[in-house]
Amino acid sequence: MRESYQKQLQTLHTELIRMGAYCEEAIAYAIKGLLDDDAELRRKALEMEETINEKERAIEYFCIRLLLREQPVARDLRQITTAQKMIIDMERIGDQATDIAEISAFMVGSAVKSDIHIADMAAAAAKMLTDSVDSFVEGDIEKARRVIEDDDLVDELFTKVKSELIEQIMKDSTKGGACLDLLMIAKYLERIGDHAVNIAEAVVYSIEG
Amino acid sequence: MKRRILLFTCLLAGLSIILTTVVLNNISYRNLVLEARQQLKAESELVGAAVNMGGLAYLESLSPDMETRFSLISPKGRVIFDSRANLGELGDHSDRPEVAEALATGRGESFRFSGTIGKRTVYYALRLRDGDVLRAAITVDSVYMDLFRLLPFMIVAVAAIALLALIVGGKVTRAIVEPINKLNLNAPEENAVYEELSPLLSRMKRQNDVIDAQMSEIRQKQAEFTAITDNMREGLLVLDQDAYVLTCNKSAMKLLQSRIDPSVRQNALAFNRSDAFSEAIGKAAGGLRSESVLRVGAKSIQLIATPVQGRDYEPEGPDPDMKGIILFLQDVTEREDREKLRREFTANVSHELKTPLTSISGYAEIIASGLAKGDDVPRFAANIYNETKRLITLIGDIMTLSRLDDKGTAIANETVDLRGLAEEVIERLKDMAYRKNITVTLSGGEASVQGLRQALDESLYNLVENAVKYNRPDGKVEVSVEDGADAAILTVKDTGAGIPPSEQERVFERFYRLEKSRNNAIEGTGLGLSIVKHGVQLHGGEIFLDSDGASGTTVTIKLPKG
Repeated sequence: MRESYQKQLQTLHTELIRMGAYCEEAIAYAIKGLLDDDAELRRKALEMEETINEKERAIEYFCIRLLLREQPVARDLRQITTAQKMIIDMERIGDQATDIAEISAFMVGSAVKSDIHIADMAAAAAKMLTDSVDSFVEGDIEKARRVIEDDDLVDELFTKVKSELIEQIMKDSTKGGACLDLLMIAKYLERIGDHAVNIAEAVVYSIEG
Repeated sequence: MKRRILLFTCLLAGLSIILTTVVLNNISYRNLVLEARQQLKAESELVGAAVNMGGLAYLESLSPDMETRFSLISPKGRVIFDSRANLGELGDHSDRPEVAEALATGRGESFRFSGTIGKRTVYYALRLRDGDVLRAAITVDSVYMDLFRLLPFMIVAVAAIALLALIVGGKVTRAIVEPINKLNLNAPEENAVYEELSPLLSRMKRQNDVIDAQMSEIRQKQAEFTAITDNMREGLLVLDQDAYVLTCNKSAMKLLQSRIDPSVRQNALAFNRSDAFSEAIGKAAGGLRSESVLRVGAKSIQLIATPVQGRDYEPEGPDPDMKGIILFLQDVTEREDREKLRREFTANVSHELKTPLTSISGYAEIIASGLAKGDDVPRFAANIYNETKRLITLIGDIMTLSRLDDKGTAIANETVDLRGLAEEVIERLKDMAYRKNITVTLSGGEASVQGLRQALDESLYNLVENAVKYNRPDGKVEVSVEDGADAAILTVKDTGAGIPPSEQERVFERFYRLEKSRNNAIEGTGLGLSIVKHGVQLHGGEIFLDSDGASGTTVTIKLPKG
């Protein structure tokens, strides 16, 4: 009985890694779809979101079943409640990847994106997510703390992108629409950064309590 | 064990109480019956004497409440008198053993169950002088009644003794069990507890020894296995049927750039989360072998995932044949990069060959169709000639490069005089320099290295040619040869437009040409510096490029003398 319980906790861990990997992929597809104007990649990002949603429901159900059947305490309980928190953030990240993919469909052919730091920002946000999932996989509290610090970098990039977009609009008001779309994408990326921070905080909580 | 001992103690105590009571009761009962018989005999003799004297009237005068029952029976067996029972109900008594005995011998006695009063009864019969028989009877409670009366006392006694047994038994049990609990099982022979336990303990020691020996053997084998796998260059991961990692060598950790603790049971996903990786594991779990290439950071890792199947041991899990998965990892970055370079090279060569051929074909077509007017023909022919020359140069360069590639392994050793070589190269490029009015100077002293003259010649030629070709008109080229302690140094300095720092890395790539040299329509194949690099590398040398991207470039070549 107890062995199967331990196995179930391991399965939970593995499934969270899998869901994290899905999120990384969704973001990668969305970003690449935006930067390379690739409709196929945008479609993949949308597909990935559904996979992420399914995984979220499955993990949620799994957590509830574990809580009810095994009545875990201490560290195990923390692990499960952390998982419940993490899947909410991961699911939101999946949503944001979809939003980015949807908006980028309107931006095909627009050159504005290459004139601003959106690619840097996307890379920074994706790295935060990767690092937060890594910190979870490795149980690395230091890495998790670094992710929390890295959020400032993404926030700075957001401010920078915002002022760059203002400049672009002032230079050429016909680019206004594309600039506003990019601003929304930048905001989504900034939100992804925040969710990565939440994941990292959950990792810290699950280890330190 | 404690419970058993306690239970037995209580059982023993209870049983002994019951047994003692029963035995004692039996003895006292016997005494009781004996006493009753003696009392009856005395009473009978007394009453008999009285009846002999006073007749039946005496008997009738006796109180019916007396403990002793008297009957008078005629020699025929008819009951004449009975102090308790109704005469009419009594039948023939001559067959009663005591009566029969008294009729025969004068005295009779018996101890039996009385049908008349329904109890255990002691009888005494006495033949009177007139021949009638006087019988006295006294009832005795059965032995069971007696016991029944004692029952409450017995229960109290049993309870008291059971309590005592519980307390004492508990203490005794604890005293017995405690040393057993304190046994040091790691060193069974050192315990001096009970002699009775020594066979068990010595057997335990033998088994401990066997286990220790087996464990150390297993550890030894594990250590050997780890030593071998950890020194493998290839990564090796062994997974169970649920894709959890059983074994992971150092190379696998390094190749996957994973920092997780391999001693904790982990799913393979914890080592790498990429799509390709989980797909390969998924396929292997389904019984399919697969090969794929993962990107880990800047590296390309080839992944071979093989399912392990068989029915060597008891099947369990959804697929009984599925035992596990073996993942084999190999760094193929270099191979992939080379492959990419080769593809790019082929594409570039094809492109570079096609461009002059297209012009040649175009001009030739115009001439052949007679569309070219008389004056144009020589011009077109000249163009064809120039393009052909370009083709020849290009093919020459490509051949040089592929020759240098081939010589990578077998280098012919000869002493090459670098100053002589430089003089020769400058001489060959004199015309070209003259046309642009460029001064080429040679400075420094003598220096020689061991190597391949032709390769060094090609390197230096291309370098000086570039310095002249991309120089401004009336510019200068300074070539110097220096003899260092362990290396010869060749320097070519020009006064051209320079190479921007951002492009300095790339100029050594095959077919890479600076944007401005393309724009200025300076003829070139884009292979020159690549040839230089190869030639220098062939000699184990180093090449340095120094330019601010605006005025002049200095290329320094260091060739080791050893």
